[in-house]
Amino acid sequence: MKQLTIISGKGGTGKTTLASNFIRLAKNHIAVDADVDAANLYILLKPTILKTEEFIGGPIAYLQGECINCGRCEELCRFDAISDSLTDIKFDSLKCEGCGVCEYVCPVDAISLKAGKQGEYYISDTQFGKFVHARLDPGAENSGKLVTIVRNLAEDIAYKGNNDLIIIDGAPGIGCSVIASLNGVDYVVIIIEPTLSGISDFKKIYDVVKFFGIEPLIVINKKDLNEENRQDIIKFCSSNSTQIIGEIPYDERIPLNLANNTFAVDDEASTAGKEIKNIWEKIMSLG
Amino acid sequence: MIISVASGKGGTGKTTVSVALAQSLGYCNYYDFDVEAPNSDIFLKPDINHYQKVYVKYPYFIKKEGVSFKACADFCHFNAIASINEDYVFFEELCHGCGGCILVGPEGYVKEKEAEVGEISKGFKSPGIYFHMGNLKPKSMRTSNVQADLEKMLDEEQTVIIDSPPGNSCSMVNAVKNCDYCILVTEPTPYGLSDLKISIDVLKDLNKKFGIVINRDGIGNKDLENYLKENGYKILLKIPNDINIAKTYSKGGSLLDWDSDMKEKFLRIMDEIEKEVGR
Repeated sequence: MKQLTIISGKGGTGKTTLASNFIRLAKNHIAVDADVDAANLYILLKPTILKTEEFIGGPIAYLQGECINCGRCEELCRFDAISDSLTDIKFDSLKCEGCGVCEYVCPVDAISLKAGKQGEYYISDTQFGKFVHARLDPGAENSGKLVTIVRNLAEDIAYKGNNDLIIIDGAPGIGCSVIASLNGVDYVVIIIEPTLSGISDFKKIYDVVKFFGIEPLIVINKKDLNEENRQDIIKFCSSNSTQIIGEIPYDERIPLNLANNTFAVDDEASTAGKEIKNIWEKIMSLG
Repeated sequence: MIISVASGKGGTGKTTVSVALAQSLGYCNYYDFDVEAPNSDIFLKPDINHYQKVYVKYPYFIKKEGVSFKACADFCHFNAIASINEDYVFFEELCHGCGGCILVGPEGYVKEKEAEVGEISKGFKSPGIYFHMGNLKPKSMRTSNVQADLEKMLDEEQTVIIDSPPGNSCSMVNAVKNCDYCILVTEPTPYGLSDLKISIDVLKDLNKKFGIVINRDGIGNKDLENYLKENGYKILLKIPNDINIAKTYSKGGSLLDWDSDMKEKFLRIMDEIEKEVGR
């Protein structure tokens, strides 16, 4: 079984468009949405949820007993999550990382840690095979942990179902959820736009992917937006012996397809769809 | 006054709107909180005159016969240290730098060192934009530490503009939690709408005032506008879908470079926001 992750560094460069069309074309695969705080893959896949599980995130501190206002916890908290501990102690749930130092140092055991629900994850059926996805609660932490849970689940299902591929739609950026979506995968597609900001973000995610010992496959999206930048990407890739496996043209039919709930690869008139098909065939030929 | 510019979906135009607002005002303090993929410098082109490193603390353990780190391993809520007899394994990427292992471990045998996880660049763009941008070091995963150092620099002497990272998780919350008003940028596609709804949930939880900028107006469908109308959310501005905006953007140009009338529009938005915030 192989795993393929699609990421980009910069947001909005076409990860989900590429992923959803790959899923449409793939056979015997499992789909995963690893962009857990802004998940979009469900829109085109129209899942029927078979199973819902609660995601319990990391615990955070709260006051469970009588505070004697000694101030020791605030002094030792490295995350500025405790304030006014000499008068009327307050915990900032957004800042607390759940390290347990305050609980440990409290001389009267007034502080405890408690884990709560921070989201949900789902196993679903779709017209295009099984789909594992999640919803992180608005503003919640631990997105990396949720990505890992969702991926482990997908691996389980793939083993049991003899699926030979997991397609993972990643998150933007280079943070914990992105890293969780790269760990142990076989192929990484980085999709990039020929804009200055796109290139800047691409170089950062490129470094991260290389660090994992994976040779990324590059897709340039909206290739005709800026020829000079496009050439810069081509130069960068060839000097690093990195393969550009496709270049998708700017195509106004992409948002149109999305609005109509259709796939670019099913749209005869879509030039982007045609190129996505080519890219998919190239990836399949990698074995 | 602090204005944050956020968006659940990536690539909808947060930086485009933040930069255009800053350029229109001319005088403001600008903070790029998208530390995993910061780009504001490309468009604002400030003279960077100062770099400040972001450090976090990591423990290190001094091995000695008869000294065990079991207490550290038992305490660590992040499982960053495993202890086997007198031996141990430390997983730096799991460590949050809380200092707990020093408190509970054998005295004198757990120490700390600093590690660089990112950098903040500061600069100036005339006539009066003070620029701050966080930049996370690849592989370090300490997004919130870089943001926390940026947060310490927030200065409300002038209007503050915060360019948020995409998404709706903690790194986005860090960028909007201090704001008086949040501009949510989105696009009229099912993806844009789906992510916008979650962002609105975050802002409501935090009790924040907000308004919407629709970018690439004309693509997709009418669902976004219908949703905004039904819920009575304010549309601050619609930016048309124009290939020339994308081309200007690709070269590092701003909305004001594309159409100088945009300045008037952004100043009008600013008036509306000031009225709503009551300043």
